[in-house]
Amino acid sequence: MSRRPIDRPVRVATDLSASVFEDLDINLFDLYADAAARGVGLIQDRTFRGCRLQGPAILLVASGVSFDDVNFGDSRNDIRNLVLRPEGALALGTVPLRDCTFEGCEFYNVGFTGDEAFLSLILSIGKPQA
Amino acid sequence: MTDIMSEAFGRELAARTTFEKEAIWLPLLAVHCLNAGETVIADRTFSDCVIEGPALLAALDGVTFEGCNLGLATDPKSLFYKAQGPMLTGVVAFSKTRFVRCRFVQVGFTGQEAAIDAMAADLIAARDADR
Repeated sequence: MSRRPIDRPVRVATDLSASVFEDLDINLFDLYADAAARGVGLIQDRTFRGCRLQGPAILLVASGVSFDDVNFGDSRNDIRNLVLRPEGALALGTVPLRDCTFEGCEFYNVGFTGDEAFLSLILSIGKPQA
Repeated sequence: MTDIMSEAFGRELAARTTFEKEAIWLPLLAVHCLNAGETVIADRTFSDCVIEGPALLAALDGVTFEGCNLGLATDPKSLFYKAQGPMLTGVVAFSKTRFVRCRFVQVGFTGQEAAIDAMAADLIAARDADR
């Protein structure tokens, strides 16, 4: 059964070091800042279920990241509006993700980037509607 | 201790137009400006500031970088992104803003394709001149 749309009251995550987040609201830049303060410059080995994840942020989707039943955000019927292509080999300024699972989550003010395989995958989700 | 997420702090931050010798956390500035109804941060001047991410700065019309250090990257192109659609999502957008002698940390850049190409070319030329 789908967890979306998420229409529960706001529940702000308080323990940003948790490995599992369920039915919580999370600022992605706070999550990154918490990890960085502990010497980890990426979001790794986390599971998010039924969460609202808020930017502004650009997620760098690396290996081992899965999205199941998620709303990537308001694309205005064109998924390309949520996607940015890095010009170089590194992707600075992003919030990197590795080995994370998103189930029944919603993203707000979040863009996505990654390698060619990821970009091809996400860009195949939808095309402009006539 | 200042509560940086408080409404009072946010209103004060969003109302300011000049910033000098300060550390600016871009996501926080963006959130407070958005709460104040400003989806594009405009008409600001940042002088001798450290501008911190993680964030992708979208340089729209009238944004200038004067004597700035845009960040550390062996390949300057790693600082830049190209939008894949007509809109931008997840970025911190600026217009009519001057950045003077600022240092950017963990910040990427995007904007009009020609402007991004020009910024990347300038950085590559500067890097090659230092070699």
